[in-house]
Amino acid sequence: MALHHSAIVGYAETKIVPKSEIDVWELGAEVLEALLDRTGFEKGEIDGLILSSSMTGAGNNFWSQTMADQLALELGFCQTVDIGGCSPVAALARATAAIDAGFCETVLCLYADTAVAENNGRPRSYGGEWTNPFGYLGAPAAFGLLSRWYDEKFGLDHPALAKLAVAQREHAVLNDLACEKLRKRITAEDYLSSRMINDPVRLLDSVMPCDGASGLLVTSRKRAEQRGLDKIVVPIGYGERTNIGADKAIVDPTITGHRVAGEKAFAQAGLKPADIASFHPYDDFIIAIMMQLEMLGFCKHGQGAGFVHETDFLFTGDLPLNTGGGQISAGQAGLAGGGTNLVEGVRQLFGEGGARQVKDTRNALVTGIGGIPYGRNWNSSVVMILTPNG
Amino acid sequence: MTELNDTLSVERALPPMRSFSAPFWEATREKRLMLQYDRAVDAYQFYPRPASIYTGRRRDLEWREVSGKGEVFSYTIARRARPPFRDHEPFFIAMVTLDEGVNLMSNVIRCPLEEMRVGLRVRPWWLALSDGRHLPLFEPDR
Repeated sequence: MALHHSAIVGYAETKIVPKSEIDVWELGAEVLEALLDRTGFEKGEIDGLILSSSMTGAGNNFWSQTMADQLALELGFCQTVDIGGCSPVAALARATAAIDAGFCETVLCLYADTAVAENNGRPRSYGGEWTNPFGYLGAPAAFGLLSRWYDEKFGLDHPALAKLAVAQREHAVLNDLACEKLRKRITAEDYLSSRMINDPVRLLDSVMPCDGASGLLVTSRKRAEQRGLDKIVVPIGYGERTNIGADKAIVDPTITGHRVAGEKAFAQAGLKPADIASFHPYDDFIIAIMMQLEMLGFCKHGQGAGFVHETDFLFTGDLPLNTGGGQISAGQAGLAGGGTNLVEGVRQLFGEGGARQVKDTRNALVTGIGGIPYGRNWNSSVVMILTPNG
Repeated sequence: MTELNDTLSVERALPPMRSFSAPFWEATREKRLMLQYDRAVDAYQFYPRPASIYTGRRRDLEWREVSGKGEVFSYTIARRARPPFRDHEPFFIAMVTLDEGVNLMSNVIRCPLEEMRVGLRVRPWWLALSDGRHLPLFEPDR
């Protein structure tokens, strides 16, 4: 697979809101219109559609077909990616594969979820038998268990976690599309004194469930060149790992699939962690950011806090972090939320970060986290490295 | 000593049973803890699955009764919960490593906050469900 034979020619994003008044299909239309306006492509030129997971779409076994019908797209390739929070980044990877295979040439990657307004999910999982009977709250409880294990093994450095939370919030203040409720500065003290949800996980560790949509238009490099599009973003490295340690009864939950996925993505891109210009990790809980820094090799396993204390994560700093606020400070658009981190990385490489534009646009690293398994960390980990103009 | 809620008055929803997990649930009627065991690799697995996590095959799986004793692998204090656990916070949710080498999620009850720690030895405490089955909770094995 040659990732770099595809190019992102446009990105779009709706406002993130606590509860959408607008139907999920209309959010999809908003993204489509913005992408057509931006790129000059006509709707009829889009011959691929790849959707992310969506709690609103979860009740429909025909979700991608239905969205295609609502938007009146005639397609050679149509699917939904269902690996949870990984699915926006994974959809981009699958778009490059589909383009490379000749299934289609121009793909709308669409990430739309109105999980708060309309949650149709009825997940069939281990939960009914093995976790729900114990008052398990899902992800917050899972991260409570994970954080306690991390604390036991390495010690949890709460001021380091606070620093990550504060940096992301600074960025949300500069992001007009972030959920308004979250666009208020916080201090390390605010983080440290926020109430416990699943001890040691605090309120300000956690994402706020929201509604919203985002998307990318992806086409072949050849088509992008024919169209004379001078601004493009090219994927140059990708790794994906689902169920790391699947054949072990007990695993160390501080080791995640990002280690192997990251090694693969870095090798493919010919880069190393020190080369990364901006970092847009999937952030459902603050500790996940620190764990990804460790697994991706920015620092050693268990030494994330030291790295955090030494690093300036503001958009003006040495490793800009989730410069739109991430999901924790911009709001989590349901299972489409990974699009928030992804689109921000693309926006920065287009040089359209506005008041939060990073200086170094040589590349951006974007990740995904998807699914909560039984007493481990997360089901799926994805890592994508992007660069402008190939 | 700080006592957390023992959650014993919570009216818990009945867990479903699947074709491949029924032996676990049926054994709980007699307060027996059964685990899937793979003869081919001499290892247990939990939660019950339709195939061996080690080999992908079903034919070497059998059910074996275990003591249920183990130690706390990790724990969290739930300070917010959905119904039917709402207003019963705070309570412990823990992953317990059984002596047979599997992790099992449950509540740890009758355990003061000061006593809880990773590595705490625990034993099963069977909570009756309305249909005659039991849920394995844990208490400190003092």
